[in-house]
Amino acid sequence: MAPVEIQNLTKCFGSVEAVKDLSFDIEPGRVTGFLGPNGAGKSTTLRALLGLVRPTAGAATFDGQHYEQLDRPNTHVGAVLEDAAFHPGRSGRNHLRVLAVTGDHPQSRVEEVLGIVGLTDAADRPAKGYSMGMRQRLAIASALLGDPHVLILDEPTNGLDPPGIAWMRDLVRGQAREGRAVLISSHLLAEVAQSVDDVVIIARGRLRARGTLEQVLGGDEGTSTEVRAAEIDRLAKSLQAQGHRVERDGEALLVLGVAPEQVGEVAAAERVALRYLAPRARSLEAAFLQLTADEEAPASEVPA
Amino acid sequence: MSALLRAELLKLRTTRTFVALVATSLGLSLLVVVLNALLTDSFSEREARELFSSDFSSLFILVLGIMGLAGEWRHRTITGTILAAPDRLRLLIAKVLAYAAAGALLSLIVTLSIMAVGSLLLSVGDKTTLGVADLADVLWRNLLIAALLGALGVCIGGLLRNQVVAIVGVLVVGFAVEPIVYGLDPDVGKYAPIGYAPNGILGFIPFTDDKPLDEVTAILVMLAWIGVFFALTAQTLRSRDLV
Repeated sequence: MAPVEIQNLTKCFGSVEAVKDLSFDIEPGRVTGFLGPNGAGKSTTLRALLGLVRPTAGAATFDGQHYEQLDRPNTHVGAVLEDAAFHPGRSGRNHLRVLAVTGDHPQSRVEEVLGIVGLTDAADRPAKGYSMGMRQRLAIASALLGDPHVLILDEPTNGLDPPGIAWMRDLVRGQAREGRAVLISSHLLAEVAQSVDDVVIIARGRLRARGTLEQVLGGDEGTSTEVRAAEIDRLAKSLQAQGHRVERDGEALLVLGVAPEQVGEVAAAERVALRYLAPRARSLEAAFLQLTADEEAPASEVPA
Repeated sequence: MSALLRAELLKLRTTRTFVALVATSLGLSLLVVVLNALLTDSFSEREARELFSSDFSSLFILVLGIMGLAGEWRHRTITGTILAAPDRLRLLIAKVLAYAAAGALLSLIVTLSIMAVGSLLLSVGDKTTLGVADLADVLWRNLLIAALLGALGVCIGGLLRNQVVAIVGVLVVGFAVEPIVYGLDPDVGKYAPIGYAPNGILGFIPFTDDKPLDEVTAILVMLAWIGVFFALTAQTLRSRDLV
């Protein structure tokens, strides 16, 4: 049984179908990126998972149980939602103390999570004086309070400065290394690409792709080779003659879906002197744009 | 349930709102009692009871109760609260009980203070005051009213969600609509939840000789009002999507 499982989830708001027949699951010890354009249904999906909105059809469960059915839910699931808010007059420490009492956690755990997120020194200040980064850290501390085995993070790097983003990336990877299943919704694709193992892409509430990051990027087929040479036109003709797809990129050639070794062999056979030869991976952004470009297209699933 | 109740009480203790309301309520109540005790030449027993019932905590706990749940929407903390306590009905029950307890505590502080100061001033002025038994009788009535209005405030706040609208609404109802309805038809108006039914628990309607509801009926009427608002709030809270 997967720690997080979404089965044929549909959510309608009036006549608007925010999520339609969405299914995927996530695995322990891995970070899954949950990606989609604005309005794709990511937040609705996460809120359905967390029992904040009621699905029109389908189910979203943790180890087979709905969030509302979990005993002491924050020992199972820690969540940071995009609009994480705190009472402005309550200090960070007191916010966590309230959550600790609610979840029946020892007060010593409050100090532990304050230390994990680096907020100990600011813990007695009212939350209204916190910067965006400090608020995100407090939200993360709240999520970690119950030492859950599933973490759900909705746009966790929003408003963070570069050191904060790096801290968040390390934290997320660390949580996965400790065996937790982590689901991250984000629109910062370059950042996500550095953090995730698996990817789920949705658009207009429908699944567009799912699989490992490598699979979604196209594996070997998603890798191209950038080459520069003295006789670039002759090399291009030779590569095309062998059936390779070639694109001109300024003074360079981009040989699509071919490893540098093969391009090097062709150049050696044709006695063309190379000046530069390197792989160029397809970016997550390129894959994302391709997968979400035609939003009316039927969902395609990258085999896991 | 006990963890939720303790968490709600901790929420009350960890902001300045409760302390500010206690201080304001105490200050206003003492001001009224001191001025009355000093400026009135003589008191009947009924007037002495009215003096010791000059407890502004009922109004303030009603407002505090509204803030207790409507404030969760105002500060957008409702999502975090429900993530921590996903059973929304239990959450509502915990809030109702917590604010009833807070109301009783607030009224205890205010009533004991005005009784101490008022008794001292009346004794010094050689005016009629109440014995311990009568003071105890006033005390439990004040405490019960504050507890009931604290619970009612939570339910009203949860139903309306908009804190400003809810507070202004109950003030308008309490200070304008209820007196108008009572003036038009006292037999209907005495069932009103903010002023007149609580007067039944007090045993008199201030500044009039009108007869309020008897205390048992008044308590049942207040519980019925709370029950109606609780049911409406529970229904909307449970069915509402938090988007």
